[in-house]
Amino acid sequence: MFDRLRAFHRPATVAAALRLATAERRAGGRGAFVAGGTDLVVQGDGSLRWVVDLSLLPLRYVRRRGAGGGWTIGSTTTMADLERSAALRRFADGVLCDAAATAGSPQIRNRGTIGGNLANASPACDLAPPLLALDASAVIAGGAAGARKAAGGRRTVALERFFRGPGRPALNGGLLVEIVIPAPPVPRGGRAAWAFQKLGRLQSDIAVVNAAAGVIVGSDCRCRWARIAIGAAGPTPLRARRAEALLVGRPFDRDAAQAAAARAAGETRPVSDVRATADYRREMSRVLVGRALDECLERMGRDPWASW
Amino acid sequence: MANDPIQFTLNGKSVTLQTDPARLLLWVLRTDLELTGTKYGCGMGECGACTVLVDGQATRSCLTDLAAVRGKRVTTIEGLAEDGRPHPLQEAFDEHGGYQCGYCTSGMIMNAAGLLHAHPHPSRREIVEGMEGNLCRCGAHQRIVAAIESAATGTGRQP
Repeated sequence: MFDRLRAFHRPATVAAALRLATAERRAGGRGAFVAGGTDLVVQGDGSLRWVVDLSLLPLRYVRRRGAGGGWTIGSTTTMADLERSAALRRFADGVLCDAAATAGSPQIRNRGTIGGNLANASPACDLAPPLLALDASAVIAGGAAGARKAAGGRRTVALERFFRGPGRPALNGGLLVEIVIPAPPVPRGGRAAWAFQKLGRLQSDIAVVNAAAGVIVGSDCRCRWARIAIGAAGPTPLRARRAEALLVGRPFDRDAAQAAAARAAGETRPVSDVRATADYRREMSRVLVGRALDECLERMGRDPWASW
Repeated sequence: MANDPIQFTLNGKSVTLQTDPARLLLWVLRTDLELTGTKYGCGMGECGACTVLVDGQATRSCLTDLAAVRGKRVTTIEGLAEDGRPHPLQEAFDEHGGYQCGYCTSGMIMNAAGLLHAHPHPSRREIVEGMEGNLCRCGAHQRIVAAIESAATGTGRQP
């Protein structure tokens, strides 16, 4: 598998990991960071000359971010950790736990990490839609751009800008160390709900389409804030901003949800491949966004079929 | 490439190996340690035949580099029996005929052991979902689920 591997490093700190990667790059040849290995080993890139294993780094954690209700998640936190996190289960309707629980089989989730899931920049990445619906950012240590720019060689990139194309994360040779989720802006007397939806033949399949929605309504039941994110329906996981705009300022009800779902489908740029045709993906984007918004309505205690 | 010795606990006994840490656990188990109960199915993390427990968690040994188990407890199908008595899952698979050709069986039993470790009393639905990552190409699925159900309601002895 790694026939041409010259070096396999297992550093204990982020600084050491970056130093090793820099030295290896100077020495020449392709290499990679590896966490759970559930993508890297399968890709089986025999040309890799070096690997820096991240499993000893102290990045396996889910922490509250200050008192405001935000979170930070270390990049080597496994999908199983997220799935079982009691704290995240109580945050944002457990939308991150729900998405993590659909990523691959139990054995994959025991090894695969949030950082690997994102850094592979697969358009079908299951954690991307819920994280986009939570305005999450990626914290990147080191790398060509980061070392100069930010204090401590770290920079924060909004997740939406982190995905630059299929398999193209905005890392510039840096290391994804943390995911930051800000406190959702729920006003006094308001309500918030999130939901995740995924379509695949089996739950553990790579998504044909996945989607997440987040909605915040004020005490007047008008939508104040909306996030709609769709995966596997374009070159990157995407935000359906025009659909979000359709919701904001109006009463949040089933009609609004269905209109937003239809508009969201129009914002996708799907391809046809072995899993589905582009037309099917576009149509299923509408269905999944509609379901996710219906779930948000239900979670707010509203009958999704009633207008109010 | 110079290799530091890698120590881990295998089926309750400490082992120390001097080999390339990037090698996959599956092949170290099968080749170096001659424990061939862990099967090579697809080699791509799709079929579950190579499942072992790492610190009690079901893990695909075909995707796991040796360095990742340094200092950890690895359990293979050979280490599941205690005092010469088969594990309740092994007994239940035997009783219910939870196999036909048997190639997927050790992976099935190890994944089920990981499942029961996390959820000692799973519902039928939890069993089906928890076993989704293990393929059986013969068609013993119903009997596999029945075997795990009966092991879960039995003595509940855990690895």
